[in-house]
Amino acid sequence: MSAASTPRRDLVHRLYSQHHGWLLGSLRRRIRNNADAEDLAADTFCTVLAARFEPALIEEPRAYLVTIAKRLAFRLFRRRELEQAYLERLALLPELFAPSEEERAILMEAINRIDRALQGLPVAVKAAFLYHQLDGLGQSEIAGLLGVSTKTVQRHLKAAMRRCYLLELDA
Amino acid sequence: MSRLDPAAEQAIDWMLRLHSGASASTDAAAFAAWHAHDEANRAAWARLSERLDGPYAQVRAIDARLPGQAGEVREVLLRPPQRRRFLLRSLAAAGLLGGSAWLTDRVTPLATLTADLRTGTGERRDIRLADGSQLALNARSAVDVAFDGHTRALYLRRGELVVDVAPGDRPFLVHTRHGSARALGTRFAVREEGSRSLVAMLAHSTELLAANGHRLRLEEGESAVLDGNGIARLSLRPASLGAWTGGLLVADDLPLAEVVERLRPYCRGLLRLAPNAAGLRVQGVFPLDDPARSFTALAETLPLKVADYGLFILIEAA
Repeated sequence: MSAASTPRRDLVHRLYSQHHGWLLGSLRRRIRNNADAEDLAADTFCTVLAARFEPALIEEPRAYLVTIAKRLAFRLFRRRELEQAYLERLALLPELFAPSEEERAILMEAINRIDRALQGLPVAVKAAFLYHQLDGLGQSEIAGLLGVSTKTVQRHLKAAMRRCYLLELDA
Repeated sequence: MSRLDPAAEQAIDWMLRLHSGASASTDAAAFAAWHAHDEANRAAWARLSERLDGPYAQVRAIDARLPGQAGEVREVLLRPPQRRRFLLRSLAAAGLLGGSAWLTDRVTPLATLTADLRTGTGERRDIRLADGSQLALNARSAVDVAFDGHTRALYLRRGELVVDVAPGDRPFLVHTRHGSARALGTRFAVREEGSRSLVAMLAHSTELLAANGHRLRLEEGESAVLDGNGIARLSLRPASLGAWTGGLLVADDLPLAEVVERLRPYCRGLLRLAPNAAGLRVQGVFPLDDPARSFTALAETLPLKVADYGLFILIEAA
C-alpha cells in the first residue's frame, strides 16, 4: 500500500467526509446487519482509494459510491451463499469421503475464485466449461450430458476460455 | 462474444484440440511448430494456460485424492441463486444433516446451526452460553455456536474470543478453519487471522488439533499458532493475547503492522499504513477504545507521521 499523493488523498478524504455517513445509512436500510453495513461502507472507500480512476473526475459521487457498494455487497453475499451451499453438500457426505479442514478451505477459495471468473456467463456455458475443467470430460461426453451438439459445446468452451483469457489475475 | 487477437484465438483452438482426447501424434508436432513460431504465440499459450490452471487445478488435485469433490464444486457453482435456505430446512427435516467434521454426527437442531454472534467496529460483547460458559468477543468478530447433545462447539469465523468453559459432560471445542482447540481446562483465547490461528492458554490446558493432523497439548501460560504447516509454539505471553477483554492492547516488541491490525477493528475510518513504517517495533500498552490516542502515543515514541483526518488516518515513516 503506497502512500497516496496528497491531492488525491485529500479528494478521497473529502469524498469520505461528505458521503460516508449517507452511504452507511443507505446500506443500513438495505442490509439488516450493522457490522456488514459498516464493512461495506469502509470497503467502498478503500476501493475508491485503490482505484486508478481519478476521484476529481467523479461527477455523481453518490451514484459512483453506490455502484461500488452494490458490487461489493453482491460479492459478500455471494461468498456466503456459496459457502452455505458447499457446507450443505458436505453435510450429506459420509465421513470417509469428507475433505480435511485445509482441503475444505482450499476448495472454498477455489469456488469463490471460479465463481468470480465466470460471473455473468450463461449457465450452459458455465456447465460445459466446468465439466471440461473440473470433471475432465471430453466434448462429446459433455454434449451427451447437456443434450446439445458437439459444435455447441465447442462454442461454449471457447466463450468461457475467452473470458478466462481476458481476466486480470489479482492477489 | 467478440474474438480475441489471432494468437489468443489460436491458443484457445489448440487448448481444445489437445484436450479433446482425440489428438493424434501429428497434432503434437503441429502444436510444437505453432508454439515455436513466434513470441506472440508463446505468450498467448502461457497466458491461457495460467488462466486455466489455478483454482481448477487445485480442485482436480483434491479430487484425485477424494473422488467426487470436483463434482461437488461443480454443483455448487452451477446452483441457481437461492433466496431462502429452504434446502437446509428440508435436509434437517429428513434427518440428513450431519456427517462432516464441523457438524457433529447427530442431527443438529436448526436453531443452533444458524445461530451466529457478530460484533461491529469498536464493539466488544460478553455472552453467557447455554451451558453457562462465558464468551468474550472482540470487535469485528463472528462466531457460530453449535451446541447439541454430543458436543459444545464454537466456530470462530473471524476475529478473536476468550472463553471460560463451564464444567460439563460434553467436550467443548473451538474450531477455526486452521484446526481446533479442545478444552481440557477452563480459560483460553483464540484469534483467527486469515492464514493462521493463534491459541493461548489462560487457565489450565487445551488439546490442539491442526488441519494436517498435528496435535499439541497446551498448558497454562503457553501459546501456539495453527496454520497449513501444523502447530508451532509461540513465545507470546497469553496475557497479552487476551488483554483486549480489558480494553487494552499490550505490545511486547510487536511490529507496527501488527499493532495497526489490532487497532483496526476499533477504527471507524479508513486506516492506511505505509510499508516504510510497517516494520517499526512497538513496546507499550494502548487503549483500544480510544484509537486516536493510541496513534498519538505511537507518533510520540516512533519516527512516524500520522495524518489524522478523524475519518481517515494515514501512517507513514517520518
